[in-house]
Amino acid sequence: MSWAPDRPIGQAEPVSEQTTASAGALRLRPPAHRVSRRAIGYWTATAAIFWLLLIGLQTLIVVTADDAPSFLPVTLVISCVFGPLHLAVMPQWRYRVHRWEVTGEAVYTQSGWLKQQWRIAPISRIQTVDVERDPFEQLFGLAKITVTTASAAGPLRISGLAHTEALRLADELTKTTQATRGDAT
Amino acid sequence: MRPADALSSAEAASDTATVTTPAAEGTQDAPWHRLDRRMLLIRPVLDLLRSLPVLASALIVGHGEPWQWIGIGFTVIAVCTGISHVLTSRYRITESQVEWHTGLLLRKQRAIPRDRIRTVDVTSEPKHRLFSLAAVRIGTGRHSHGKGPGKDELVVDAVTGAEAQRLRTLLLHRKVESTTEEAAPPETLIAEVDRRWLRYAPFTLSGLAVVGATLGAVYHFAHELHFDPVRLAPVQSIVGQFEDTPTWTIVLSGAVGLLVLVSLLSVGGYVLSFWNFRLTREPEGTLHVRRGLITTRSVSIEEERLRGIEVREPLPLRLVGGARLVAVAGGLREGKGADKGGGLLLPPAPAKRVHEVVADVLGEDPTATPLVRHPRRALYRRISRALLSVAVLAAALYWLAWIDFLPAWPWQVAVVLLPVAVLVGWDRYRNLGHALVGRYLVTRTGSLDRDTAVVRCDGMTGVVVERSLFQRRAGLITVIAPVAAGKGHYRVLDIGESDGLALADAAQPGLLTPFLER
Repeated sequence: MSWAPDRPIGQAEPVSEQTTASAGALRLRPPAHRVSRRAIGYWTATAAIFWLLLIGLQTLIVVTADDAPSFLPVTLVISCVFGPLHLAVMPQWRYRVHRWEVTGEAVYTQSGWLKQQWRIAPISRIQTVDVERDPFEQLFGLAKITVTTASAAGPLRISGLAHTEALRLADELTKTTQATRGDAT
Repeated sequence: MRPADALSSAEAASDTATVTTPAAEGTQDAPWHRLDRRMLLIRPVLDLLRSLPVLASALIVGHGEPWQWIGIGFTVIAVCTGISHVLTSRYRITESQVEWHTGLLLRKQRAIPRDRIRTVDVTSEPKHRLFSLAAVRIGTGRHSHGKGPGKDELVVDAVTGAEAQRLRTLLLHRKVESTTEEAAPPETLIAEVDRRWLRYAPFTLSGLAVVGATLGAVYHFAHELHFDPVRLAPVQSIVGQFEDTPTWTIVLSGAVGLLVLVSLLSVGGYVLSFWNFRLTREPEGTLHVRRGLITTRSVSIEEERLRGIEVREPLPLRLVGGARLVAVAGGLREGKGADKGGGLLLPPAPAKRVHEVVADVLGEDPTATPLVRHPRRALYRRISRALLSVAVLAAALYWLAWIDFLPAWPWQVAVVLLPVAVLVGWDRYRNLGHALVGRYLVTRTGSLDRDTAVVRCDGMTGVVVERSLFQRRAGLITVIAPVAAGKGHYRVLDIGESDGLALADAAQPGLLTPFLER
């Protein structure tokens, strides 16, 4: 590591002194796998239920109540505009963004929309592997995997995996984790 | 402060008492130990005091009403629970775990594997010091997310000072089977508090919190009782005396008075917290911190479990060349109030001394290496963020003034603060830096609260890379080092994308390599 000298403001600067000199800039490649295509349906369904409940509740109050708050019609219109928009864009976008990969040494996930996040955890540091399914996930034959390490920085989550795939993955991870000694802190 | 001569009474007892461990200790059928019976004298009184508000309000307000019995019943239950806790709690240390049983009606049993124990924290509060007792907190390496006496902590409250010392030695030094020591093991002194360090106390601004909390409490109390302190006769007369003096004199003298008060309180707080501060190393590889005037604390940290250190330099302290040193280790209480600073390795002290202690504790001083600066684009981000936050504040205050909710001066002050925001942003950029020194990753962030974290690379539980929309446009990323200790994660903020990935790759060799491309 070298001491990067100060440059006057406004002057263009290469990304790095050491790495760009020898070869091209380093980049993280996205993880190899996408989640199950059925996840798009699942995300759409859960979001649709949320929006329907929200819009339905507001409509109910506006129609039935005698002195409904004046802001309610406004929020109702906003919900009616943003709901379908969200339903049209979110699932597709999420499907593109959420990716995962498991190698013999590490678990690698990518997530995030405006703030992208890549998480890499070595298999040797994994503490628990959980497979969860809520009723809707069961309906769509999906499951989500949560991989925790000892750190409080947060677990790695892969949601929208096909159920069989999730079980196979959890099984594989548990086996490798058990083979590794130590308490993973 | 005279650190050398005055050990706390609890420790004096532990030093003189011969530590004789029964032969059965640490085996499958180890004997059970109970809490010190003298807690029966302390605990009920404390429980009574604690439920005094309930009791008093029930008796005074609810006189003759049926619900005064509820208040009394409440108090009786609290006291009885306390007594039963002291009577029924027992613990033992077997070969593999520490077992803890408590409760009469609601029985609880807990077992902590001994190889999970990372820290043993011995605290003697005033109530304990009455009988030379101490509370022992046994912490495991897991990062507890909850508050209070969490699942990952066992509190033995309380035993004699000698027993606390014995537990500490037994639980932390299990590798060395030297249970028949005649005296405390020889320790090497790394650092102890210096009377001259008191000059740093006012710059910690710890007194400000005390003043704020006191004012808040007084206001809240007055508000609850529907009484306005401003209308009180003595306050009225004082205010009356100042009626003729111009506003700026009042403001100035008020500020000076506040400054003096805060300084005095900070010095007092420093003395209370860091009296007799000693950082020592025991031969078995444990760091041992002892400190406190009224409440004495003694924290042990297994060096093997030390994941790094943090040098914290809040702006006022940094301006006068001071710094604090904090350990990054699992199992330390990172709570609030009195619990705060469980991992403290050095109270506010000269920066030079801090670096000496870092070198002593880690075997090298990674913070001495000049850090690699971050790209210029990070500067624009820092300045624009600082400016934006103040500008939003000013706009909000202006709006509040416009609807006649606030006078005009708050937004004017906010506008005056804009150049200050630029300065802070610039300083934040100037402080950004990272380095990879030996087996340590060093990262520095912050201006008003500058924090230089040194994290052992093999303590990282992976790598997290973050990039917001704005960072993406600037070609910057944030590399986060997750650690199972301290804050839980340490950030290398706004580093160039390629540099950041190279840094992460070097810190965790081989982990990132399959996922990188040029």
